[in-house]
Amino acid sequence: MDVHQARLSRLRARQNHDGGWGYFPGKQSRLEPTCYALLALYGDRPSGDAWMRGWSLIRSWQQEDGGYRPGAEIQVSSWATALVVTLHCVHGTYDGRFQKAVAWLLGSRGIEGSWVERALGLVMRMPVEYDRRHKGWPWNTDTASWVEPTAHSVLALKKAAGKVENPALRERVTEGEKMMLDRRSPDGGWNYGNKRVMRTDLPSYPETTAVALLGLQGSLLLEDPNAAVAAAEKHWRETRSRLAKAWLTISLRNYGKDVPLGAEAEPDEDVMITALEALACPNGGHQWLKPA
Amino acid sequence: MAETRIGRRGISRRAFWPAAGAAVTAGCAQAPEVPAGPAGKSAVFVAKAASYEADLESIVRRGITACGLAVKGKNILLKPNLVEFDPATCVNTNVAVLAAARAAFLALGAASVRMGEGPGHRRDTIYLAEEAGYRKLLEGFDRAFVDLNRDDVTFRENVSHRGGLYLPNTALGADLIVSVAKMKTHHWAGATLSMKNFFGVTPGAVYGWPKNELHRIGIPQAILALNKTFPRSFGIVDGIVGMEGNGPIQGSPKRSGVLAMGTNLPALDATCCRIMGIDPLKLEYLRLAREIGHVDEDRIEQRGESVAAVRQPYRLIEEIERVRLG
Repeated sequence: MDVHQARLSRLRARQNHDGGWGYFPGKQSRLEPTCYALLALYGDRPSGDAWMRGWSLIRSWQQEDGGYRPGAEIQVSSWATALVVTLHCVHGTYDGRFQKAVAWLLGSRGIEGSWVERALGLVMRMPVEYDRRHKGWPWNTDTASWVEPTAHSVLALKKAAGKVENPALRERVTEGEKMMLDRRSPDGGWNYGNKRVMRTDLPSYPETTAVALLGLQGSLLLEDPNAAVAAAEKHWRETRSRLAKAWLTISLRNYGKDVPLGAEAEPDEDVMITALEALACPNGGHQWLKPA
Repeated sequence: MAETRIGRRGISRRAFWPAAGAAVTAGCAQAPEVPAGPAGKSAVFVAKAASYEADLESIVRRGITACGLAVKGKNILLKPNLVEFDPATCVNTNVAVLAAARAAFLALGAASVRMGEGPGHRRDTIYLAEEAGYRKLLEGFDRAFVDLNRDDVTFRENVSHRGGLYLPNTALGADLIVSVAKMKTHHWAGATLSMKNFFGVTPGAVYGWPKNELHRIGIPQAILALNKTFPRSFGIVDGIVGMEGNGPIQGSPKRSGVLAMGTNLPALDATCCRIMGIDPLKLEYLRLAREIGHVDEDRIEQRGESVAAVRQPYRLIEEIERVRLG
């Protein structure tokens, strides 16, 4: 069995009775690994039933406010609503649930950058240095914005663009791109979302560099895509993290780089890594994470 | 690093405090007086350990005994400080200390000893454990370790603007959580020791990377809330090689040659601060922690070495220089 099929087979075997996937075998189903598993299994004929059960489960997790909760037991709307929007676009389902999810996403915003904070920034060097005008997406409501949820949200909104009539969409996409570009590390990549703290430059991480690049696909604001891709390629050569390697391979493929996955033959016990490694295969579905 | 907010949509704590003058910093405030702590005193055990090659298991066993901790039959969760990996410095709890703690608790009759951590910045916990040498040097690591960021969770009421936090079932189900922390300066809180180490039990899969919810609550307040939620705890602080300067990630190694332990985590952290040349009463989280423990020197029974015998003043960056002892 090839690397791709081995991962799809493992994903089918790891599906919970409720139709979802946990982060690890036997764990509670969660939105994030379920979305990645569904993206990986999408279009695979033997996985059709598994796919529909997972799809039905996450659709039942939409909250009143339009956001999706991270799991059946967790009663908050989550950043991973962005992944559900992406999944709807891949599946071509643009119904009421989709519209409500997009509306929730458009209403979600980091809380940093109050007027007092900005005024202080005019007269003193702030301990955390970034442009407080640009806000992205938070992990949770009422918290600051960070690179990973912002990148997934920007990508989801780019995919949803043709299916939603909301003038705020383009504006939020642009704002999210500006936020990511402003918080880019001096080495050319991205970490979780701070480039300089206490007068010290912070290094980028491989996995967040990959995810940021996915969010910035097609951006006219990214003036040096080659340098950003080079930073990702450097991480790809150096990292020993399977998770990071899978994300980087997906991202570099979407930027036209034919890099090998480099995955071990045996799928990992970590369901998310298994799903991302499947997506990272040449025919594995990484294209679902392109804007269009 | 995340920012803490003052007020519902107000200024970030990190932005506000520098402007407020010399009296306060993000985690080092002149807060209103709080109770002096529960009645009685707390024991803290301090031992010299010249290097990670020393007989650390014996030292940990002596510390457990000296602090009067009952271990027999308990299901124990060891919670190291595993944050990021940088071969040039010493961000994480050294594997030798973790191995010694595991062996000591098993030798003293613990029913089980598991390990768990939820790093605050990096998502691939197992990769971090690999880089830190945990997987290679701790036998059966994969079976004994739980990624707390992605564990099953249950909601627990405690302090938070949302009324509580979702917390990992592995931590909630343990009879005893042992915070196996690193002795480090912290550029927001002043120092990160056994109590701040509890940040790692909050699940990233719910609160993100970083766990900005905790900064939103307030770093000192969140430290207290988490420690109140997990009252059955013990602390071991790895100060054999600590971190000074711009901790908790980008500081420099500091050879202190010390291991400290205690059942009352505020007392343990206060003692570690004194070893580091930090005034514990100038750290807001420890002032708040007097609600649940002992911070004042006359309420702590020092066992093993005296603080004076192991004191090694740590270098502090200018933002937290004001917490210097004396």
